[in-house]
Amino acid sequence: MNIRRDRVGLGWRPDLAASIFDHLECIDLLEVIADDFFDGSRHERRALRALSSQVTVVLHGIGLGLASCESVQTTRLDKMARLFDEVRPEFWSEHLAFVRAGGVEIGHLAAPPRTLQNVEGAAENLCRAISRVGSKPLMENIATLVDPPGSTLAEPAWVSAILEASDCDSLLDLHNVHANALNHGYDATKYLKQIPSSRVRAIHIAGGKLITAADGTTRLLDDHLHDVPDPVFELLEEIAASSPQPLTVILERDGAYPPMPQLLAQIQRARLSLERGRARHTAPEKCIA
Amino acid sequence: MTTSAFEAFLAKIYVDPNARARFKVDPFGEASHAGLSPDECVAVMKIDWVGLDLAARSFAKKRHTKTLSNRRSLRTRAQGFLSSLLGFFR
Repeated sequence: MNIRRDRVGLGWRPDLAASIFDHLECIDLLEVIADDFFDGSRHERRALRALSSQVTVVLHGIGLGLASCESVQTTRLDKMARLFDEVRPEFWSEHLAFVRAGGVEIGHLAAPPRTLQNVEGAAENLCRAISRVGSKPLMENIATLVDPPGSTLAEPAWVSAILEASDCDSLLDLHNVHANALNHGYDATKYLKQIPSSRVRAIHIAGGKLITAADGTTRLLDDHLHDVPDPVFELLEEIAASSPQPLTVILERDGAYPPMPQLLAQIQRARLSLERGRARHTAPEKCIA
Repeated sequence: MTTSAFEAFLAKIYVDPNARARFKVDPFGEASHAGLSPDECVAVMKIDWVGLDLAARSFAKKRHTKTLSNRRSLRTRAQGFLSSLLGFFR
């Protein structure tokens, strides 16, 4: 992966296909959910290969459950490896999450207890994944409504430890940082300063909604069904200001699709946030008399 | 601390409403019964209860959506994808 400029792309969703093809000049790359194609038909996989031959494609996994004390399932790794070989994406990514344990499928990304044992388990799983797929994944921080019990490490320290132990780079999801900061009471900007910014290669931006708990308190749900909120664009500017390397930003939208111009406007706004951050990064420090 | 058993216990109370209800009534007993060490039992008793309910609700919704999505005709999705692709390369 030798990227020389910032780029902004969009998550590939079948419902958006026609609109995406109509506006490819505004979209630098497409992120495809790998798991959707693991058991895809020959035609579907051929279509994906055709897509990747025309547009920059990256693969995003959601079901490996790599951040776990349990070993990652070999069959799933093999499916990812096979798809990677077929599609030859620019890179692939997965989540710092567990999705199953003790034979129970959670059905979504769950935050494991953030401990040194979990760091070891994640590093072992990543070692196997890298060996099978033949390429290092970018690892994404997740949003969680429940602060995982039994944690001995703060989230930034845990994320940093796994990246360090596996020598993997980061897919930094800024809405997840924003949501966790709101839900668990910390400062999102400080979070960004506590992770190794030099390892951030790609960024997710998305939106969510406030949900109300039984006790009347509210939390932010990362549902990917709403527009990207202002604080996420502000965090994007921050990370662009502190990371010298080129960044690949991907807008995620999983439903309640607005008209395409509304999505393109968010892509454009992401470009502006990157530019503002870059300007800060290169601007000489002002002397205060 | 935190073993496979700990993660398995969390997965169970995230997914199974009956297990979650039993855990709320007797947190230490339920965790101990699941094979967690005394330290792990104490740790899991400190869970964010409000977050647990919200997370469980969110996971259940995701599983439901996934089931519905799997029931959707894959053929329809593939046809939409292929026709869009054909339109693009024309």
